[in-house]
Amino acid sequence: MSEWVDLNVGPHHPSTHGVLRLKVKLDGEIVREVEPVIGYLHRNAEKLCENTFFCDNLIYFDRMDYVGAPGMEVGYLEAAEKLLGIFPPERAVWIRTIMAELSRIASHLIWLAAFGLELGMLTPFFYCFDLREKIMTMFVEASGSRLLTNYCSIGGVYQDFNEKVIAEIEEFLRVSPKKIEEINSLFIKNDIFISRNKGIGVLDKETAIEYGVTGHMLRASGVEYDVRKAEPYLAYSQLNFEIPTSTKGDNLARYIVRVEEIRQSVKIISQAVKKLPEGPFFNPKAKKSMMIRLRGDGEVYARTESSKGEFGVYIVGDGGVKPYRVRVRSPSLRNLSVMRELGKNVMIADLVSILGTTDLVFGEIDR
Amino acid sequence: MSLLARTYNIFSFLGYYADTFLTYLIDSIIFLLAAAIAIILTIYFFRKYMARVQLRIGPNRVGKFGTLQLIADALKLMGKESILPKERDDFPYKVAPILVFAGLMVAFSLLPFGSFFWVGNVVISNSEVGIILLFAVLAIMPIGEMLAGISSHNKYALTGALRSVAKDISFEVPMMISVLAIVVMASARTPSSLTIGSVVSTEILPYGILQPLGLFVFYIAMIARASYTPFDMGESESELVSGYSTEYSGMRFGLFYVGMFGSILLGSFIISLFYLGGYNGPYEWNLGLIYLLIKTVIVVVISFTVWLSMPRIRIDKFVNLGWKYLFPISVFNLVLAGFLTLYLGW
Repeated sequence: MSEWVDLNVGPHHPSTHGVLRLKVKLDGEIVREVEPVIGYLHRNAEKLCENTFFCDNLIYFDRMDYVGAPGMEVGYLEAAEKLLGIFPPERAVWIRTIMAELSRIASHLIWLAAFGLELGMLTPFFYCFDLREKIMTMFVEASGSRLLTNYCSIGGVYQDFNEKVIAEIEEFLRVSPKKIEEINSLFIKNDIFISRNKGIGVLDKETAIEYGVTGHMLRASGVEYDVRKAEPYLAYSQLNFEIPTSTKGDNLARYIVRVEEIRQSVKIISQAVKKLPEGPFFNPKAKKSMMIRLRGDGEVYARTESSKGEFGVYIVGDGGVKPYRVRVRSPSLRNLSVMRELGKNVMIADLVSILGTTDLVFGEIDR
Repeated sequence: MSLLARTYNIFSFLGYYADTFLTYLIDSIIFLLAAAIAIILTIYFFRKYMARVQLRIGPNRVGKFGTLQLIADALKLMGKESILPKERDDFPYKVAPILVFAGLMVAFSLLPFGSFFWVGNVVISNSEVGIILLFAVLAIMPIGEMLAGISSHNKYALTGALRSVAKDISFEVPMMISVLAIVVMASARTPSSLTIGSVVSTEILPYGILQPLGLFVFYIAMIARASYTPFDMGESESELVSGYSTEYSGMRFGLFYVGMFGSILLGSFIISLFYLGGYNGPYEWNLGLIYLLIKTVIVVVISFTVWLSMPRIRIDKFVNLGWKYLFPISVFNLVLAGFLTLYLGW
């Protein structure tokens, strides 16, 4: 007889966000040890990138963080354009900024919805999806696709923002703050929600830094680090926004930081739409007939702040039309690896809520 | 004149034994059908209400306004294969959902529903020990849940069953003590034995107004009994896949599902009978059933709203709530009820 009950949470379990498997050692209701097992959604994206042209690789990045695809595209293009030496015109930069922030909101809303479900709240799920649907219609209008947009491309964006997209974004900016507060009040004004999250899953600053945790988890642990401020890319240096931080490091702090991030993103979009310059949306050096002949030599590393944390792309080119090696630094993987520390001596219910605040997307972890 | 007496009169030419037998048989069947229809309506109402709350439309394809959706769902569940886990304990595994459902139905048949026009008093059992019997029958349902969890041979189901037991122990004691406070008040007002009917008939002023603390404790206990959010730790789907009903499929799962909604309806009936004045209303003209139904629907709507807007509480916090708060509150309520009855004669 062993002292513990070994329990496999996942890979098919309602609250593991796809295909995470947690090997859990249970002592009654209390989780003594937890070991995440990943790899069930591995699709070989990095290797596949070596076999296709620079311009075509974008679709594999769409499928990484599939709940906020444009954010991933921006991450890849930061690296690829640096390698190829083709830079987008001013208007495309601003359009990309808007799309990246919209995708951040879309991704955060999915997280909020799933987090509510994990705590047993059915209603916020639909409120979040109702709001997210507005963003999806913008994506459709801009790119023709809902989820995997494939909108940005080397040297600019696939097509220009038309008036309808701008009108939809303005409508969203008008409606969303009120709706976000409504959804937030469903959570934060509930005593049970507070009792489930306050002081649960405390991640201290040192552990967070040791594990390479980034994004909202790092910020909730008291480190003010955001790539958008630390190393501005796109148009972020010309925009006015704040980085929400907290020193508590628990679930509630992560929740509050994330909701504040949504508000900041709305603020960024409202500034960016006003500043959106006129002009070409595409660099003629990367026109369609030239696209597959683009050659890259050398190595580059570019990092962007995706909705989950620091998303880094490392590309090595050997002078050919295809990259020699592509490597992705996935933020969710680092955020998940700290689960071993957080999941010690907590209750099952807490394990699920900690998992919820971590915000995992398996397309990105397994790649 | 009650429903029983009317049926009795119809069959009186058959002699005493056959008459009694047939009366109870036919009335029971009528009752079970009525209860089943009421539960189906509750589920339909829940779906529509949930859809309204969640900015959706709800079932609207089968039948007008989706009214036949539940029939379709029931047929689908019946047609489904019932997948049995290999290492189950066969007998308890199969008997568990039936216990849950049967306990629910028996509990329904113990309730008085007031008078309804020419039918008269809608009641089929008028037990002398009605209240004790009702809560004894209610204690059958958790046994079904425990059996289901233990016999499934599944770790999730076992944890769910353990949670259910912990939950049941911590809310049943406060619940019974708050019922006792009603019995204290009712027994001072009526000389007859404590059938549920006679307790309800003493409610000129509803006990919910005289004992708001008792109503509070009893309502929380009824949420926990029906086990929906915030107190659905036993089957919390995000933690323990589906708790004690994880390994059930097909119609056996359907029985658990129906049992849950039946408990909500039953709890609402009991609350409106004991605490909201039951079938007493402003006009004493054979409208008891209507009054009772109106009160019950109000309680059901409140329950659904609670369900849809609350997250799930953690099991240890619920056990704390039960023993550290509900239990003292219910004892205080009992003492208060005794004081009011003895010294103030309320």
